Amino acid sequence: MRGLLLLLIMSSAANAADLLPDQPRTAKQDAIYGQAMYSLHSGDYATALTLNNKLRHRGQRGYGKVLDIHEATAQLGLGMSQSAKKQFHKLISDKRLSFIPTEARSQAWFYLAKHFYNKGMWSTALKAIRKIKAAQIGPSVKDEYHFLALTLELFKGNQKKADQHILAINPKSKWAAYGFLNLAVSYTERDVHISKVEAVFDKALLLSENTSNPKALADRIHLMAGKFFFATGRGRSAIKHLKSVGLESAYTPKALLTYGWALTEQWLYHDALQPWYMLKTNHSPLNQDVQETLIGIPFLLEKLNAKVMALGAFDYAVEQYDGIYEKLGHSASRLNTGAFIEPLLAQQIPDRWGAFAPIDLSLPDHPDQVYLKDVMSKGYFQGELKNLRDLHVMRSQLTKAVDDLDAFTLTAQERKKEYTKITSEKHLTKRKKHLQELKSRYKKLLARINKAFKNPDGSGLASDFEKEQLSRFENVDNQLAKLKKSELFKDKNYQKRLKRVQGVLAWELSERYTARKKQVSKNLALLESRIKTTNKQLAAAEFAYKVAPKAFSGFENKNNRLKAKYKNQLAKLEKVYNKQRERVGSIVKTDIKKRQERVMNYQLQARLAAARLFDETSNKKRQMASDQISIGELRQ
Amino acid sequence: MKAIHSCIRYTLFICALLLSNSLFAANQAGLDAEIEELKAEVIELNRELFDLEEQLLYPATTSFAVFVSMESVDDFDIRSIKLNLDQEDVTSYLYSDEQIEALRRGGIQKLFASNLKPGLHKLKAEIQGKDRDGRLVKRVVVADFGKARSSKYLEVKIKHNPKKSKPDFAIVEWK
Repeated sequence: MRGLLLLLIMSSAANAADLLPDQPRTAKQDAIYGQAMYSLHSGDYATALTLNNKLRHRGQRGYGKVLDIHEATAQLGLGMSQSAKKQFHKLISDKRLSFIPTEARSQAWFYLAKHFYNKGMWSTALKAIRKIKAAQIGPSVKDEYHFLALTLELFKGNQKKADQHILAINPKSKWAAYGFLNLAVSYTERDVHISKVEAVFDKALLLSENTSNPKALADRIHLMAGKFFFATGRGRSAIKHLKSVGLESAYTPKALLTYGWALTEQWLYHDALQPWYMLKTNHSPLNQDVQETLIGIPFLLEKLNAKVMALGAFDYAVEQYDGIYEKLGHSASRLNTGAFIEPLLAQQIPDRWGAFAPIDLSLPDHPDQVYLKDVMSKGYFQGELKNLRDLHVMRSQLTKAVDDLDAFTLTAQERKKEYTKITSEKHLTKRKKHLQELKSRYKKLLARINKAFKNPDGSGLASDFEKEQLSRFENVDNQLAKLKKSELFKDKNYQKRLKRVQGVLAWELSERYTARKKQVSKNLALLESRIKTTNKQLAAAEFAYKVAPKAFSGFENKNNRLKAKYKNQLAKLEKVYNKQRERVGSIVKTDIKKRQERVMNYQLQARLAAARLFDETSNKKRQMASDQISIGELRQ
Repeated sequence: MKAIHSCIRYTLFICALLLSNSLFAANQAGLDAEIEELKAEVIELNRELFDLEEQLLYPATTSFAVFVSMESVDDFDIRSIKLNLDQEDVTSYLYSDEQIEALRRGGIQKLFASNLKPGLHKLKAEIQGKDRDGRLVKRVVVADFGKARSSKYLEVKIKHNPKKSKPDFAIVEWK
């Protein structure tokens, strides 16, 4: 079954956003919603969840269940499987949600099943996959759906259902090859007739041509078939398959080792030496297949009756095992402290985390690179590493947030300083005073003008000389009025003289008066514009005083509160991080211990065999010597 | 008597073994749950930080932002964008395939956020990408806009034009 799991992991590259039915952008210009969608579809699940939370905090504003779907998807993407499982289950099984089309619902079930399958939650995956109706699944994922359903049904031992699914896969699809391979693996674990198993392996091989990397899959199938036939005592069939595995493949060491054993079983000892020598020469002694070869070669030499050579080879193997044990010991002392974890985490892409972000397992400068690569390639170890990586990313995010909050505090302090500076300059008071002076001047001038223009004698604008003239003008006017009533009125000459005086006075007065009126209007306009400008300056100063510098108030407490929360979270995370680090370290420790035990076991076997051979060869020599002596005695 | 003692000891040993195994499994599951809980808490804290950042750094009176959208445009792949505000290059961005797909599926990218004083301003967006046949397409869109004492949001909108085989490029103001 592990083979099935590995196979699916190899073939799956699901994206959490694929779980979503297409949700077109709303007609509303909602920046937060749009950004949440952008983050979600581009794989930035942490930001998507943050923005989704913000939308919820703000109130749903008609988005309704869409936010729930987005949340579940982002949770899945971020590796929060339990929360996502609950949310999805609630959502997809709710038949009232009519806005999710049946096809999209089936697709969602499919991806959910696939995700849980990859997480190793097979029973949950099977429940999800059984919710899908084959007719409703989209053509793009139909073959993959049948493949997944087949694998899960095989896991449960439902052969009939599995057969239905395998027949439904399009033979030209890559999933057909994977399907037949899984079926073959399943047959090998059950009591199925050998001819049937062979036929399924052959079918998988035939269909492997349709996959993206046919050579690698063919090598894998050959190795699996070879190992199966070897284990069931069908050496010839095993040899046929193992010979077909390429020499540059990832499966080469295993294939060479099993090939050697299969030849040995066929009494072809001399032929068996060749693949084992090849394996020993081309691969590191830390490789467990090479370690097995070290003891296998002298065993073959012994079978070939080359006992002295075999004895030498056993001694050589004992030495080699000592070296390997020592190397593993050094690795253990280096790795016990978990020293490989930090460099490994440091080389990951910053801020990429979650279930769908792969881990870069290469450690180019590490002395235990070969060993670590071997251990880290195991699926469960990668899962634990992903958790540790996520914690590492979260830690850096929290630290950055604390730094950001420090920067925010500084900004608020700077604004406060600015504000204090503005208020201490009395800038605003000065402006206000200036404006009051201008306004009072304006008021006075306006009063004078009003008086001058409204008063018919225009005395408001007159100088002393003009005032005297105006009073004379008034006198003349009075005299003329009296004349109209008296007898003298009839004296036309006097009347004309008076009118002439009046005219001259009026003319002189009006000339000066008009000039002055113009000057006064000009002054008034100037004053008005200055008042307008000062008014604007006052408004701007008031605005600056009121709005901008005060943008610090209230933030200090908020900053401090949030910083305390972040620091608490950081402390909490540190504890969990150390626990997880210990868990990852313990996997390596246990693995090294197991490897050392195995090496010790091989070494013990080699020592015993060497002792036995030594004894045998010595006895033979003794026997030969005694035979020679007895022949000599006979001759004498 | 000895037999009874050894039997009890054996039973106790088995119980202890089973208990330690189940404790180990519970610890494993507990740690996974703790990690998940931590993730949820960090997300909530990030939301609070996001709010604070918006309020403090981009107050409503001066806030200015430029968004990019490309909904349902399948005849153009945006590859890069460069923004120039008031004769000054302010930001540029290179898109990954995932991000292009996110824009196509209705996502809106907040490309640039800043504070801007009231008055008249000019925004120039230089967009580069590839058309359906893989040919390089370069477009420049310009917008003159006024900013009052309130937030201003602009959107560089790439829109499908059913009448032409090319998409339309525009800068639109959000009301």
